[in-house]
Amino acid sequence: MTTTSNLLAFLGLVVTLLIVWRQSWPARLRLFGAQSLLLAVLASTIGMLAQRRGLLLVAAVFVVVKGWVIPRVLARIGAGAPVRSIAPGRSSGISLLVAGGLVVVAYVIMLPVTAAAELPTEGAIPLAFAIALIGLYLCVTGRDALGHILGFLVFENGIFGLAILATYGLPGIVEAGVFLDVLVIVLIMEAVVVQVRREHDSIDVDRLKELRG
Amino acid sequence: MMLGVLLAIPLVGAVLLWRAAGRVATALHALTAGLTLTAALAVSVEVNRGEPVAALDGFLRADVLSAWMIALIGIVGALAASEAPRYLAHTAPARFYSLFHLFVFTMLVAVSTDDVGLMWVAVEGTTLASVFLVNFEHTRASLEASYKYLLICSVGIAIAFLGTVLVYFAGIQQFNDEAHALRWTTLMRLAPGLAPRVIELAFVFLVVGYGTKAGLAPMHTWLPDAHSEAPPPVSALMSGVLLSVGVYAILRFKPAVDVAAGPGFARSILLALGLLSVAVAAAFLWTSSNYKRMLAYSSVEHIGLVCLGLGFGGALGTAGALLHIANHALAKSIVFLLSGRIRTAYGSAEIAAVGGLMRRMPRTGAPFLAAMLALIGLPPFGLFVSEVMILAAGFTQGFPLVVAFGGLLRGTHTILYGTPPREPAAEISGWGPAFPVAAALLLLLLTGLAWPPGLAGALDRIVAIVAP
Repeated sequence: MTTTSNLLAFLGLVVTLLIVWRQSWPARLRLFGAQSLLLAVLASTIGMLAQRRGLLLVAAVFVVVKGWVIPRVLARIGAGAPVRSIAPGRSSGISLLVAGGLVVVAYVIMLPVTAAAELPTEGAIPLAFAIALIGLYLCVTGRDALGHILGFLVFENGIFGLAILATYGLPGIVEAGVFLDVLVIVLIMEAVVVQVRREHDSIDVDRLKELRG
Repeated sequence: MMLGVLLAIPLVGAVLLWRAAGRVATALHALTAGLTLTAALAVSVEVNRGEPVAALDGFLRADVLSAWMIALIGIVGALAASEAPRYLAHTAPARFYSLFHLFVFTMLVAVSTDDVGLMWVAVEGTTLASVFLVNFEHTRASLEASYKYLLICSVGIAIAFLGTVLVYFAGIQQFNDEAHALRWTTLMRLAPGLAPRVIELAFVFLVVGYGTKAGLAPMHTWLPDAHSEAPPPVSALMSGVLLSVGVYAILRFKPAVDVAAGPGFARSILLALGLLSVAVAAAFLWTSSNYKRMLAYSSVEHIGLVCLGLGFGGALGTAGALLHIANHALAKSIVFLLSGRIRTAYGSAEIAAVGGLMRRMPRTGAPFLAAMLALIGLPPFGLFVSEVMILAAGFTQGFPLVVAFGGLLRGTHTILYGTPPREPAAEISGWGPAFPVAAALLLLLLTGLAWPPGLAGALDRIVAIVAP
């Protein structure tokens, strides 16, 4: 189980770094879908190896919500947006450097948790947390609404991975709440983005600057 | 049983109101708000008379701390509800009532469950229920405010989820029953054995996450926008009780953290964030030119004070903080409701444009002045008493610094309200709307001058839970 969980979490991190690297929106969206699938595989593997039936259900819902419904909604939001939202000449080198630094930070912050854990999956916990941190970084530095949402979703994926690795799944009501939550957030985001586009002719949130001070 | 009824009322109301329109909607709205208030007060009285009430195998549970919040949500909810039809007279009421009661429902669930996982779901639910209310007027500014609100609070609440996961992780190491490991009562029992470093880390995430919802600096940036752009009844609910629900969530974890990681840890974090919030709010209170924004920063200031009280801890600090939550809720909902009437009359939310309030709209101006004086912290209103309690708790522990901030803020408020420029107003509101405002002011006077019987006992019982 240790090898499998480490491998899957590591692949998840690689995909996250690819999301940081790529600048074309369709490519980033595909990478997000791939990451969601990896995490679902992680959940179902742990579910089988640790004899947690509930995790299999969670993995199934995860695939549907984050691997299918949300990417579709995101594709709908992104339709019509320029493929590359970032201004020309801006390289992702600095972002990748920051993301690499965040992996180190994740290991440092998660030290108390890995020290307290006596699980076969504990080695992968900092990797999942690194995914979350990089997602947060993407969300904060996102240049438009799509960037914000994608960053937020990667952040959520990281936390989901961490929860699976550290606790083998949360109580059902919480898991259900989380899924409902992400779904509703993305749908509301879509409504808001549609309205922003109607008002401003763009989803560039730099144009949202009436409220200051 | 009673607890289930309390939660069912706003939920059923929200469902029925989704398709209702016209007079039916207004009547149903009033009925729902009235029943919610009645049930909230009934639950509070029942809990304060005896043991905590529970339902669904303890999944829903209200102790005295919950009862305090339930009563507040009931009262502020009713105040805000009473203003809603007046506000909606100028706009289309589509789904406003429904979302309003859904918002109240999510807040009530957050404070009346024993499961910190469900509490998290409910706190997140408050954002989802209220985001459309913030954008209810569909202006560019309100759209921007709701986008910021949704994004920042969703990220914040996701951080709180991380904290909850870590608490659960620490819990199941001690306790094998997964279904009950996130129960607050279980956590309190397990607290001495929880891994201290993990709990410290979890608490940092929880404070950042729920602190975002509570409007603590530096996570407060969504708050002035959302509060100033939301319709007045929604601003009153957000400022009056939504922020306190965020504080409540932090407060739930504090006793367990104090036991598991030692009392100094939570204290230093709360004091630092409290001080920062008061300082940031003080700076922005000087510069706000929009009165609703100014009131929003005043909320940041008061939540900072509450946080300081909780940080100082002990019986005095904790009781002061709780009383301050209640007083602030009453005073702030009054001024937000009145500010809505002022904006309707003057057609502007700029401080410079609404001068001469006392002469032009005395029936709005007088209670507005009274509630503002209360918010500044002057006697005879309740906020004076609770601020003194918090500051006294600080003094006994050698924190005289806080008083300087308090003084600065008072100066700020006086300058902003000392010399209003004179410009004509449009109309004067009637006597009918005065009742809810007068009732709230009376409650504020009561907590300032003569505590009603049972208040001191209720505070003592809460302190026994939160700061044993």
